[in-house]
Amino acid sequence: MYKIFLCFRYLTRKGIVLFPVLAVWLCVMMLIIVNSIMTGFVNRVRDAGRSLMGDVVIQSDSMAGFPYYRQLQKRLALLPQVKASTPVISGYGLFNLPEFQVNTGVQVMGVEAGSESKVSSFGSSLFWQYKAPMQAVADLRGAGFPTTRAKLLAYAQKRLLAAAKTEDARQRHYANLKPIGNHAWLASIRQHWQVIAHEDYQQAVYKENRADRDLRMVQALPNEAFSSAAALRHALVPKAPSFTPPPQAANRYMTGADEPKNGCVIGVDLGLYKRDRFGHYHRPPGVRFSPVIITMVPVTMKATLAQPQSRRFVIVDDSRTRVYAVDSKTVYIPFHVAQKMAFMQRQDLLAGGVRPGRCSEIQVLVRHDSSEANVLAARKAIAHVVHQLELLHPQMEIAGIRVRTWDQVQAEYIRAVDNERNMITFLLGLMSLVVVIVIFLIFYMLVRDKTRDIGIIKAIGGSEEGVGVIFVLYGMLISSAGALLGLITGVWFVRNDNWIHDHILWRIFGISIWNRKIYVFSKIPDQIDPQAVMWIVIFAILAGLFGALIPAILAARQDPVEALRYE
Amino acid sequence: MNNTLTTTDSSPRKAMLELTNINKTFRLGPADVRVLCGAGLTVFEGEFVALVGASGSGKSTLLHIAGALESADAGSVMFRGQDLSRLSRHSRHRLRNHAFGFVFQLYHLLPELSVLENVLLPAMVCAPWYKACIRARPGKRRALELLEQLGLKDRLRHRPSQLSGGERQRVAIARALINEPALVLADEPTGNLDPKTGQTILDVLRGLHKGSGQSILLVTHDIHIAAQADRVVTLQDGKIVDRTL
Repeated sequence: MYKIFLCFRYLTRKGIVLFPVLAVWLCVMMLIIVNSIMTGFVNRVRDAGRSLMGDVVIQSDSMAGFPYYRQLQKRLALLPQVKASTPVISGYGLFNLPEFQVNTGVQVMGVEAGSESKVSSFGSSLFWQYKAPMQAVADLRGAGFPTTRAKLLAYAQKRLLAAAKTEDARQRHYANLKPIGNHAWLASIRQHWQVIAHEDYQQAVYKENRADRDLRMVQALPNEAFSSAAALRHALVPKAPSFTPPPQAANRYMTGADEPKNGCVIGVDLGLYKRDRFGHYHRPPGVRFSPVIITMVPVTMKATLAQPQSRRFVIVDDSRTRVYAVDSKTVYIPFHVAQKMAFMQRQDLLAGGVRPGRCSEIQVLVRHDSSEANVLAARKAIAHVVHQLELLHPQMEIAGIRVRTWDQVQAEYIRAVDNERNMITFLLGLMSLVVVIVIFLIFYMLVRDKTRDIGIIKAIGGSEEGVGVIFVLYGMLISSAGALLGLITGVWFVRNDNWIHDHILWRIFGISIWNRKIYVFSKIPDQIDPQAVMWIVIFAILAGLFGALIPAILAARQDPVEALRYE
Repeated sequence: MNNTLTTTDSSPRKAMLELTNINKTFRLGPADVRVLCGAGLTVFEGEFVALVGASGSGKSTLLHIAGALESADAGSVMFRGQDLSRLSRHSRHRLRNHAFGFVFQLYHLLPELSVLENVLLPAMVCAPWYKACIRARPGKRRALELLEQLGLKDRLRHRPSQLSGGERQRVAIARALINEPALVLADEPTGNLDPKTGQTILDVLRGLHKGSGQSILLVTHDIHIAAQADRVVTLQDGKIVDRTL
């Protein structure tokens, strides 16, 4: 009993114990923050990768693709594990935006907008067809549903006026910024506040643009959209995404009257939009519905390059998958157009017969795909179907078809990010061994400081084990207190990391660690892994135990008479 | 030479503590210093014995050996018929907790604990762990009684650093008595106090002895203080050289 009692007394009445508590606290907090952010990063990368291509991908080794894809899709539809599938054409090409004098090499993806949206996140990655309407629903939720068209319009106008007022005020504030002085040490502070004022102005403009867009959307709403937020969403978000531009954009085509009118979707990071420090894209007016020319270089079945094929399109939307490598290089066009441009369409041969249409890959969505075992089982079943079809059509076998799950396709990249997380956590854990040393040193000092107390405890009947236990318990109490504080503050920090970054680190101290201009994710990715947090806390408590162990043994072995004589 | 004290009193008195032929040598650097050589001492039940001697004569060492804090190189220590050298470690701890109460010259109170907590500590040593969180700690009533008797009732929550030397020593006496020990071992309890306060402490010890028949073995180099004991024993050159009944 006296052991617990003395532990608590030493803990509450000895100032020096604050240092090991502080050391454990900071280490636990640091490990929880780093682990959570790295876990969030890894999981975001995994989710983004998965949402790009569905659960299982059937790909050809040949750039010329593989035939009989429709037949394969029909057979896949019969599999109970398969929910949906979609063919994709993938090839390289040139992107030319004559009005903005932009010329760049891109990856051209031919997709069937409807089925692609069922399998991947293509539909929900589109800004004008999905994200902007969803933002409008969120913005107008304050109107209070059910409502009327007049009320909703009034509310949207009120928001626009408020935003315009803020923008005006910000603009005046920014314009009226006066120089503080010419001292060198003031220059950096002045510069920082000017940057912040500019950012505030940018945010005000962004809000005004958004309010303006919401108002336009409301104006075009049908009457049944005012009953609830869900009805508003239903009215604003199209059932299936489309490459067809709205009628008002028809005059933007540069195509002749006899040419088909096609739309295309560009990757959001293609370089046409500026992105501010907060991760918002500023879409200048005029880019949407701009005419573009896309040129593809077809690859023949004999692996030679054919005549480049150019088509005119109009930009109907932009896509943000959150994978920079995809968003900065990809342009989406309708599947049938891409098939023709890549020479993969069904062809009647001069020598007679037909060459079946081809695609580059088929993306498959598996039922109950949250289970890895289900996905693997589906992959096996799909591979079997592919094999059976290959036996029927030897041309398919020549194409070298591979059936892989999404994580097998991305294994190398995901493994690299995963390893990075483990390595950083391990290195920080190694650094945290300092805690053990800090506790050891402080306990060593404490045992020396408490030598006479040890003599007294032994004189009144305390045993060697009892004295040892006091110091071991003391160490564990210190590390537990530090671990508890670290746990609470670490979790709090992770939950508020974006706010802390923007409002404290950046605005007050001018430190910007997470620059959204550079990173793919507009928010710091964070995900608390309860198991990892549990191990960090256990490690911290054990660190206290190990740090206190040797001093505790020394204390236990202390001769009581010598201890009483100690000065 | 056998220095075991025998009584000449006609009534048979029961020996509580018997030290026989105690030898103790300390190694100080390269040299061995023989502190006790064949010292012997008997303390009877209910007796107040003063052990006097010059500084470095081995008084405190003999007291520590008597209180099972230290082991003798040779000789035997019998407490109520039990040979301390044959006791297990656990039994020695129990004996120090239950049978002996130590009072030191430098008080040796734990600075982080209050007066009451210091007094209660020996009672807590033998209490089960689950009573740690119970407000009514074991021995609390007795501790309060003792502190009241010693005039420290209004100092319960004070820390040792907030007390005078005499008060600290009274707290140490209360702590020594909390488990109702058979023998109080006091090592120069007045050595660090002014004569007036020292006398007060001695009065407390004498009061205990007279009131409840508490056995006391007091070590001092002050013959005036020693004179107030029932019996004075002198230690010189590691041996008992004089005894007064």
